[in-house]
Amino acid sequence: MRAIISVFRKEMRDHLRDKRSIIVAMIYPLMGPLLLGLMFFFVGGSMRVNEDAPLIVPVMNPQNAPDIVHYLQQHGAILRNVRGNPQTIVAGGWVPFALILPATPEIDPEKPLPVQLLTNPSRFDSIVATGRVVELLNTYQRETVRARLQQAGLSPNLTDVLQIDQQNIGRAAGPSVILLTMIPPFLIFTLFTGGVHVTLDSTSGERERGSFEPLMMNPVTRAQVLTGKIGASMVFTLMALGVQIFAFWIMLHIVPRESLGLNEPLSALRLGAVASICLPIVVLAAALQLLISAATRSMKEAQTYLGLLPLVPGLAGMVLALAPVQAQPLLAAIPTFGQTLLMGQMVRAEAVNWLLVGITAAATLITTGLLLALGFRLYEREGILFPQG
Amino acid sequence: MIEIRGIAKSFDGLNVVRDASFVARDGEITGLIGPNGAGKTTLFRLIGTVLRPDRGATLIDGIDSQRDQLAARHRLGVLPDVRGLYPRLTAREHIRYFGELHAIPRAELDARITELTVALRMEDFIDRRTHGFSRGQQMKVALARALVHRPHNIMLDEPTNGLDVTTSRAVRDLLRGLRDEGRCILLTSHIMQEVTVLADRIVVLAGGTIVMEGTPAELRRVTGLADLEEIFLAATSGHEPSEAAWAAGD
Repeated sequence: MRAIISVFRKEMRDHLRDKRSIIVAMIYPLMGPLLLGLMFFFVGGSMRVNEDAPLIVPVMNPQNAPDIVHYLQQHGAILRNVRGNPQTIVAGGWVPFALILPATPEIDPEKPLPVQLLTNPSRFDSIVATGRVVELLNTYQRETVRARLQQAGLSPNLTDVLQIDQQNIGRAAGPSVILLTMIPPFLIFTLFTGGVHVTLDSTSGERERGSFEPLMMNPVTRAQVLTGKIGASMVFTLMALGVQIFAFWIMLHIVPRESLGLNEPLSALRLGAVASICLPIVVLAAALQLLISAATRSMKEAQTYLGLLPLVPGLAGMVLALAPVQAQPLLAAIPTFGQTLLMGQMVRAEAVNWLLVGITAAATLITTGLLLALGFRLYEREGILFPQG
Repeated sequence: MIEIRGIAKSFDGLNVVRDASFVARDGEITGLIGPNGAGKTTLFRLIGTVLRPDRGATLIDGIDSQRDQLAARHRLGVLPDVRGLYPRLTAREHIRYFGELHAIPRAELDARITELTVALRMEDFIDRRTHGFSRGQQMKVALARALVHRPHNIMLDEPTNGLDVTTSRAVRDLLRGLRDEGRCILLTSHIMQEVTVLADRIVVLAGGTIVMEGTPAELRRVTGLADLEEIFLAATSGHEPSEAAWAAGD
């Protein structure tokens, strides 16, 4: 144990003085919260439905449908005449949509009035503005039908088949909350990068510098040396995780709640719970990094593979963010994927099945144990101590 | 005392060390010499316990290094040719690190570091990080950490490689001092002059086998040659390098 602590302390001292290790552990984790914060500001802000802002309705031929025009104006819409080709104007993003009314005046009240709405859903501001005008037009239609039914002596509710009562019981108050589900992939990415430089430098780097050989001529076993090194790597990963969780917490409190699309912000406690779910990955990442450094001939080669390593679980998380999957025991047992699933549920304020949390942790730790055993075994090879010529 | 008994090692079918036997005695400096690729580095690593022999045994003060590797390492202090320093650690931290790995109590370790700092004249750079150290400074740090646990057996691979005349002489004086304390010193060197000046006993390695062994006087008597360089050439001629295919720089 004493030898393990000595190696651990040496690696900590060494890498706390190493700019690259510090940047990877303390600066890289800030990128996720910064990027997500900017997305919330710009994307979340434009997706926000601000009922107080005037609805500008670009319109063609308003003179041919005075009833609709009157209704829209009555409900606060400001109509602006579209000049030129409406398709070009909408596609070019000059206006979020265009309401094309009939080219000739409305004559027959018994025929539906042909109304065309040109939209451009590739723009977030267009989605929101279009939603508002469609809602107004639907209300106009509903009210007109009711009035006509009443005029005919029928019940105004005759055409109502359903009375839909939609209640939002989730954390989301707006569509931008989908961005929150990107937090787990960012965390997973950080778990695989936070201590990577420490592992790499203290294993492949140590071999390349020629310092592994004199080190192993001391009365210590290779397992003791590797355990001390992995310990230091895990501390750097935890530092990176802590920095990122704190930065996410700050971001979630700086970004206006309306832009976040949240009914209530994620508490520090919940963020802490999210982080604790992925703690077994701290050891898993160190074990994988050790294995790669053992299986490769040089630091450069190891760097290539270790650079790609975080992408595998990170990309799976990105897919889950966009297409959430229901957590099941089999899926939860896949290391990193299970954690991503569960963390996604937590940030969306869904109920978390603690049995699945246990399955995920156990599966990850068993996998880690196997990888560590393999890594330690590879490090027992004779040639691994010497620079590969 | 370091005793090598019929040791052999091969890599990928290439016999790098073949049935090598010799003894490095206490209170003597034993010089292990050989041409490039003779197997010196491999033999050095076998004695240093970082390689396992295919056959034979290495005894460090009677301890079989394959049976009790850690006990053997406690009795050994090793200065490899590649010094392998950590550029972000100070000289003092290097010595302390190895001292801790030998489980030396803190107070004793502090005293030992001070002692080595004075002995190796490291006062000016003991608390400086080793990045940018001269070869002489690097060698001193590596030597200090090899000696921190007062090993009875000291192995040095090319100890004066790249050093200036003054530092080389200081190293030679230090080694003589250690020998006079009764320690067993085993050194390898390419520089025949250094071996001539330092070694009480010479072991010549060529093609992975010991081709000659004895005191300088014995070697002169056996070969009938006066110059050690001539003796070395006569002993090693006709032997193919055994190690070159596996390890460079030997």
